[in-house]
Amino acid sequence: MEEESDTRKINNSFLREHNYATEADIISTVEFNSSGELLATGDKGGRVVVFQREQESKSQPQRRGEYNVYSTFQSHEPEFDYLKSLEIEEKINKIKWLPQQNAAYFLLSTNDKTVKLWKISERDKRPEGYNLKDDDGRIRDPSTITSLRVPVLQPMDLMVEATARRVFSNAHMYHINSISVNSDYQTYISTDDLRVNLWNLEITDRSFNIVDIKPANMEELTEVITSAEFHPQQCHTFAYSSSKGSIRLCDMREAALCDKHCKYFEEPEDPSTRSFFSEIISSISDVKFSHNGRYLMTRDYLTVKVWDLQMENKPLETYQ
Amino acid sequence: MLGRGVKRKWSCLEELEAEARPAAAEKERDEKEGQGDEDGFLVGPSKSAMNHLQQRQLVLGLCMEKLQSYQAGMELSLRRSVLLINTLRQIQEDMQSDETGTSETLLNHTDSCLLREDMQVTCPGCTEEDGDSLSPPLSPEFPSQEANSSPDQQKSLPAAAINTFSEAVNAMGYLSDLALDDIFEDIDTSMYETSELPSAWSAGSLWPISVSLWTDEDVKMRPPSLPSAGSLQSRLMDLNELDHIMEILVQS
Repeated sequence: MEEESDTRKINNSFLREHNYATEADIISTVEFNSSGELLATGDKGGRVVVFQREQESKSQPQRRGEYNVYSTFQSHEPEFDYLKSLEIEEKINKIKWLPQQNAAYFLLSTNDKTVKLWKISERDKRPEGYNLKDDDGRIRDPSTITSLRVPVLQPMDLMVEATARRVFSNAHMYHINSISVNSDYQTYISTDDLRVNLWNLEITDRSFNIVDIKPANMEELTEVITSAEFHPQQCHTFAYSSSKGSIRLCDMREAALCDKHCKYFEEPEDPSTRSFFSEIISSISDVKFSHNGRYLMTRDYLTVKVWDLQMENKPLETYQ
Repeated sequence: MLGRGVKRKWSCLEELEAEARPAAAEKERDEKEGQGDEDGFLVGPSKSAMNHLQQRQLVLGLCMEKLQSYQAGMELSLRRSVLLINTLRQIQEDMQSDETGTSETLLNHTDSCLLREDMQVTCPGCTEEDGDSLSPPLSPEFPSQEANSSPDQQKSLPAAAINTFSEAVNAMGYLSDLALDDIFEDIDTSMYETSELPSAWSAGSLWPISVSLWTDEDVKMRPPSLPSAGSLQSRLMDLNELDHIMEILVQS
């Protein structure tokens, strides 16, 4: 543990002072888990670094609120799409934590094309005293064994391992911009520019397309999906935002394909502020439900807006 | 132009607007010197119009530049493409509403100049584009991938007909549902010679998506320059579409 923290210190300050941070270190996404104990960051190089909040201690009360590196792993690698002769970036676009159900932590991380489910678990004990194996791992010759023993779990230095448990791929033609875990803890949605797909966390070879705004003629395309999120309590409701500054609320019970929205939130444009940039700055980059599920928060280039789900024609609050 | 992943400050937007003002002021000064006193009267009342025009031209240039960055090897995401093209459309509408009343040829020429300028600036790889002056700058052209000679990108070059155009649209970045390689795999190109197509067809990109959008039924959206594009298009549509594509491919 002592060693680890020294290494950490060396890495952190060395990188900063010597400008060794490269483009791959640029952080592309950040996400706290539900308790706030863990903070996951994804970077352009496809790595995920998870930070853990410092434990409260009476001797150093001011250190609470500091986060230390907990785990680092390579989530995505760059790939090459041979069909289109394009490289698929390994940059992590979004990370979402799953609700914690046991001692291990689970998170979903995605790049442009593939979503992965990672399990992060701690190991602080190691079995020792196998009969057929040395402690080094070498196989013992059975003829040399004269007595049997029961392996015992011995404490060891804390090791945090990350393993990929599921890989959800080949479902998106366009770049994935967001993922959202459902309140049923069984499904999640992944969203690209034109489509939203519904997955079951257990099943990797199939997904359902629930929103498709691709026009029959691509030349008529004027709007893309920028983000989507499930309602925090209603597992059948989700919302998605568009590049034109509108948000649509959909109910999955209505139809298999939720192209028809239940609610449509858009603030009419003020003609006096219209400029050549109006289109670009109205594009919503992110949408989030409030914890109680009654409000929506959206962010476009210059403002943050809070919407009441009951009122579609204008936001409750606008922050500039 | 910043590379991917490099953050731009949000004040970049304000900088753009700030740039537009001095640029407009500069242009005024130049014009004043060039035209002499009799045009002095233009400066006063049209000052705000100048700023607007300058800003419009600036934004137009920026959008073209960004759209064409695709050919420089930078992949343009669908969201960015759509936003840029919507902005371009808005500019076009603005141009149209400004110029209603002036003759069609004037706008055509203005458009051509503006867009040809951009072409020269941003398409170093373009060949003879000074040909037919009436050749519509808004011809359905595509970012030619000079660096890349793969058949896939070659197909993104000028396509005359609308459906081949949409295939090219897909190839450019609006994504392809099908592998374009398959279509052209077995076609023998040796029999097709370089024809005397208007040079503008083979020149670099301009309004790749835009023209296809304006071939919609909505006549109001069409720029006045389209009639000439239309006549060319109808001529070309008479040809065998596939033959035409191959001519272009071979020509490049």
